[in-house]
Amino acid sequence: MTRTEQHRAIRIDRVGLSTVQDAGRPGFAHLGVPRSGAADRTSFALANRLAGNANTAAVLETSGGLAVTALCDITVVLTGADTEAFVGDHPVARCKAISVAEGETLRVDRLRTGTRAYLAISGGITGVHRNDETATNGGALLGSLSHDVLSGFVPVPLQSGSLLPIGKPASPPSSLDLAVDFVLSRRIQLTEGPHFDLFASESLQRFARTTWNVSPTSNRVGIRLADSSPSQSHELSFAAALKRASLGELVSIPLIRGAVQVTPSGEIVVMVADHPTTGGYPVIGVVAPDDVDTLVQQQPGSAVTFSWST
Amino acid sequence: MRVRAYGREATIVDGLAEGTAGSLRTHVLDACTDAGVQCDDVVPAAESFVVTHTARDAELIRGLLAQLIGGWLAEPSVATGAEASSDVPVEIAVRYDGADLAEIAAACSLSVDEVISLHSGADYRVAFCGFAPGFAYLIGLPKTLHTARRESPRAQVPAGSVAIAAGYSAVYPRESPGGWHLLGTTTATMWDSTRNSPALLQPGQRVRFVSVA
Repeated sequence: MTRTEQHRAIRIDRVGLSTVQDAGRPGFAHLGVPRSGAADRTSFALANRLAGNANTAAVLETSGGLAVTALCDITVVLTGADTEAFVGDHPVARCKAISVAEGETLRVDRLRTGTRAYLAISGGITGVHRNDETATNGGALLGSLSHDVLSGFVPVPLQSGSLLPIGKPASPPSSLDLAVDFVLSRRIQLTEGPHFDLFASESLQRFARTTWNVSPTSNRVGIRLADSSPSQSHELSFAAALKRASLGELVSIPLIRGAVQVTPSGEIVVMVADHPTTGGYPVIGVVAPDDVDTLVQQQPGSAVTFSWST
Repeated sequence: MRVRAYGREATIVDGLAEGTAGSLRTHVLDACTDAGVQCDDVVPAAESFVVTHTARDAELIRGLLAQLIGGWLAEPSVATGAEASSDVPVEIAVRYDGADLAEIAAACSLSVDEVISLHSGADYRVAFCGFAPGFAYLIGLPKTLHTARRESPRAQVPAGSVAIAAGYSAVYPRESPGGWHLLGTTTATMWDSTRNSPALLQPGQRVRFVSVA
């Protein structure tokens, strides 16, 4: 092994709103462990594919404020949210393999559209080390480097000065030929959930006709949505329709990514990456896997609607 | 018992007898292995369990589950967990020094000693896990000790707290907020991510509490 291979790494200069994410911890939900992993799986998969990485390689998931310095020559790919990102003074295009020379700094300053960008490094992130530690096994927890905000599973917290070792690329990096705009659909598809039959038809109709606003309290655990219909509207609100038909006391059921919980106040919460493994609120529907990716990228205040599919 | 789609990549089986889902988990995993189908996980809850899988395998797994249920209906001992009663229980040593011991005794019209002997004399089984990694909901709590959750939850319950609420008993694997009544404490490590088997208590497992001074 050459010296450069031994010391392939990047250094975090500023964490901003960033975490390390990979494919998470599948297979532990029966013990109460959330799956976790990248919140927008489509953008995560694209970043790794273009970087020439294995599809489960660890990347940086960032909502901005990130600065990293290459400690060797590296190739990076940025996908997901449309960002203001630079290497030195040069803007970084989305979905392109970009060379970053040893000593250069890459910044993801802020997001224009979307909530999460994915920075893959060719070779993948293989661990997180504090600046005062020597690299050993990377400190993965249950086989994953993902930061899970619900269980507080953080293999090693990111801080300025953290060193992230980089593995060997599995295959050569590539770029998407065309510039792909980051356009988010406002229409979310869902199928019937386990408690669908408990809701009165009036509630189900209102649910699909309501325009929902993404709440600023949304996070990696759940995307919270509130009814945005004006309260003086002559039509019955979803919350009012819900109140008319009591659902009674429910026993908790296992939750999955995309499950749409209805809270007693008529707010809804769509389960995403770090969702709890069981829950007691009624699950009206399940958002289609690809549409969960769309939903997690919606900025607070965005308006979305739901449509039932089979 | 019913088998239903739970989105495209999961299937729910509900209408199970309370607390039996944990014991059924291994039956489902074995059936998947025998049939050569890959499932990601089998996650039990109070009266249901969910199998997660790829969209492509959904039909196959739903067919397999329907068959399994047919078998359980013909042989009810499987579905009630009675067949597994010969398992060796995990023993958890408890110091009955909990902050809510006296309150529970009063609420149940029992002496503190009676609460302790009822709680430590019962045979428990892990119905399912949830709330936090390694938090196991145990069925088998004597009926006289069934109480609702505390009216106001505590912001911090210490790790190792042995508690009861809503007909279940449990041990807090780590410090966390909690609304259960605290009967005592254990020094057992309920969760350790570096262990081969990180959770001390797994779905379906038998458990006993042993009173220590």
